[in-house]
Amino acid sequence: MTTATIPAAPRAAAVPRSDFRVCGTTGRRIFHDAEWLIRVNAVASIVALLIGVIAAVGLVLTRWPAVHLLPAQWFYRVLTVHGVSMLIFFIIFFEMAVLHFAGAVLLSSRIAAPKVAWAGTWTMVVGAVLTEIMMWSGKADVLMTSYVPLKAHPLYYLGIILFAVGALVQTIIFFATLVVAKREKTYQGSVPLVTYGAITAAIIAVITLLHGAAIYVPTFLWSLGLIPAIDPQLYRMIWWALGHSSQQINVAAMVSIWYLLGALTVGSVVLNEKISRTAFVLYVLFISMASAHHLLVDPGFSPAWKVVNTSYFMYMAVLASMLHGFTVPASIELGQRLRGFNQGMFGWLKRAPWGDPGFSALIFSIVVFGFVGGITGVTFGTEQINIIAHNTLRVPGHFHATVVAGTAMAFMGVTYYLIPLIFRKQIAFFRLAQWQPYLFAGGMLVFTMSMTFAGTFGAPRRHWDIGFANAPFDVPYHPVVNVMLGFVALGGLTAAFSVFSYILIAVWSVFLGKPYAPGALEHAEVRNPERPRQPTPALAGR
Amino acid sequence: MHDTHTGIDSPRGVWWKPAHKTEKLWLGIAFAWCMVLFAMMPFWHLKGGQNPSGIRRKVTPAAYYARTQEFIKQYQVGADRGMPIVEPPPGSDVYLTALSFQWTPILKLRKGAEYTLHLSALDVNHGFNLYPVNVNFQVVPGYDYGLRVTPTEAGDFRIVCNEFCGIGHHAMVGRVIVTDEQGNEVAQAERAQILSARDTHRDAATPGAMP
Amino acid sequence: MPKYGIPNGLVNPPRHSPDVDERNAALHGPERGYLGVTPGTVVLVFVFLAAFMLYFFTNWKLLSFVWKIG
Repeated sequence: MTTATIPAAPRAAAVPRSDFRVCGTTGRRIFHDAEWLIRVNAVASIVALLIGVIAAVGLVLTRWPAVHLLPAQWFYRVLTVHGVSMLIFFIIFFEMAVLHFAGAVLLSSRIAAPKVAWAGTWTMVVGAVLTEIMMWSGKADVLMTSYVPLKAHPLYYLGIILFAVGALVQTIIFFATLVVAKREKTYQGSVPLVTYGAITAAIIAVITLLHGAAIYVPTFLWSLGLIPAIDPQLYRMIWWALGHSSQQINVAAMVSIWYLLGALTVGSVVLNEKISRTAFVLYVLFISMASAHHLLVDPGFSPAWKVVNTSYFMYMAVLASMLHGFTVPASIELGQRLRGFNQGMFGWLKRAPWGDPGFSALIFSIVVFGFVGGITGVTFGTEQINIIAHNTLRVPGHFHATVVAGTAMAFMGVTYYLIPLIFRKQIAFFRLAQWQPYLFAGGMLVFTMSMTFAGTFGAPRRHWDIGFANAPFDVPYHPVVNVMLGFVALGGLTAAFSVFSYILIAVWSVFLGKPYAPGALEHAEVRNPERPRQPTPALAGR
Repeated sequence: MHDTHTGIDSPRGVWWKPAHKTEKLWLGIAFAWCMVLFAMMPFWHLKGGQNPSGIRRKVTPAAYYARTQEFIKQYQVGADRGMPIVEPPPGSDVYLTALSFQWTPILKLRKGAEYTLHLSALDVNHGFNLYPVNVNFQVVPGYDYGLRVTPTEAGDFRIVCNEFCGIGHHAMVGRVIVTDEQGNEVAQAERAQILSARDTHRDAATPGAMP
Repeated sequence: MPKYGIPNGLVNPPRHSPDVDERNAALHGPERGYLGVTPGTVVLVFVFLAAFMLYFFTNWKLLSFVWKIG
């Protein structure tokens, strides 16, 4: 077993600072504020995740006709909570933590203007709490998209605006930190690829949040009665410019995390910086206009507009994803081969550390995102095929494969490294942690594939009663639809169980757990360390 | 000379280096595939039978609803559960209004005939889903979506709302009857099969089942 | 009391040998065909592409069965 010799810090500090520590594992200088900003944003994201997953259980048990748990009003209410808590609060809080890690921590830099970053964090918390209260008290039964003319209470919109403003502030501090790091020469050469990816995510975040302001501020004013009306088609266009761009933040952040987890788990080697970085840039350039694929069967746009926006723009983003779809697994393969796992075509994969929850989460995230999420999404995003997909269950089937089984899975995997590295705690319930990615991936695979299949029969999304008990006319779906909804529930419950496990592990480790100090590994209770397949390679100095 | 590094380390020196054969191959293939993805769309406009182009206009919801009422008055042939059944002549403009929580009127169309089906809403967004065909369109108040449709089979169809429109959303179901080329109603074979299978199953399970 | 653990990447950090640059360069020799230094990944991405093509064209076929709409 290798002892953790601390490599030399990247830069000798001109003046020793008392507000940083040296990471025992990577040798980087981690500044106090950076660490605490990561911690608070990560904890906030877990709280949002908990709300979202409780909501998810209610939803799958309601759409499962045999159970039909929630009454109609609560179903639509909880559906609103689920969408907002997961897709807005959980994921963006986590991304704030990722930005501070990819910036200040990876570059060994101080945070530029920490007080401003904290103001951003607390603004986000206030906004999130306000929105949650509005949703749970029934003042915002409009679903996450809040399509005008459906109207929620003004404070619902205000909460989201505050959240977005706070996120924008933290994103700007991230950019400022990059400038500080460059000026203070805390690193040499170009930023690492993971940081580069985070930068593209941050740029897309700014685009996203500006669109968010453009739609939520007028809608807030309209809900107060200060604006007489908002055109519903215009609303949908701008909302989805916010909505889809926010997904591209998630994609860019997820791919950055893929490179990060690859490096941490198997020493994955970047194949070609030019290709990987160009692919990230393509995301930035082409994603906002690609939001058009949400509007393919809307009356307000011409076929030419739909085709151009969906193709020239979206397909360049698709190209970027296909590039990463090659470079990320290839980087893992090359890293493994260079460390001696060179047997045959797939020895590098078979003999990879599958007991490392960071690694298993990485692989499942790539596979389910690509095969299920990516393929269905691009297919439905075709102008004409959208006719047989729009607003059916095929759509949530698709996006749970991308943002849940893809992004959220990667975020969960990286948490197992964040906890020892940033929170400096050991992972509690480690056996459960090793299984958690498998349960999550398996559950989500069943969930998404069943849901997509049910949708091919036209089963609607956002719908309380597939039996149409109160409708004037009967709508007898093929019996397989009910069976599929049962599988959606079973897959969803399995995934929800694994999320509860993840939350338990994270919260216990952070608040009640044993400290982690590298160098004290001989004394720590280390479960199931992977025995190296080769004699320990010589320590590399870099 | 290779600069072997991970994604968390800064590259040494210039990182803008040429790609290797394999990467270039994949880039080329992926790009070609993206061009196929694009090309299918204009191709289908030229050769395919399903395009969401339509004739699109802005309208005021009240004016559109009034036009729908005129249309109903002009071609009404019957009623079902209080909802007028309207049989417009082939080739004509057909007006359908979505309002919380109904689709008005019930349409009686003819197989093989083309109609311009206008879709709009009186109040909020609705979703037009034709069951069991599974074609879907967004119905937006203030916009008239005039789709040229040709029913390809006769039968008794449903319109399911698949965009959340309020508490009655899940009960919002409309009806479209498609007669054969001669104008006679037919039972939709597949649906009849499903219905009878469901009724048999339900009768076996619970006596006195709901309709 | 729960059992604690540390992920493998921190217990057994993946380290590259000091001569990794030379070995990497050697792997990239010109005798490598299109499968390159990462043949496993090349196979996997082609499997992905095949799945993509299958799903994509199947959906066009499904679309062709519905009513004519223009």
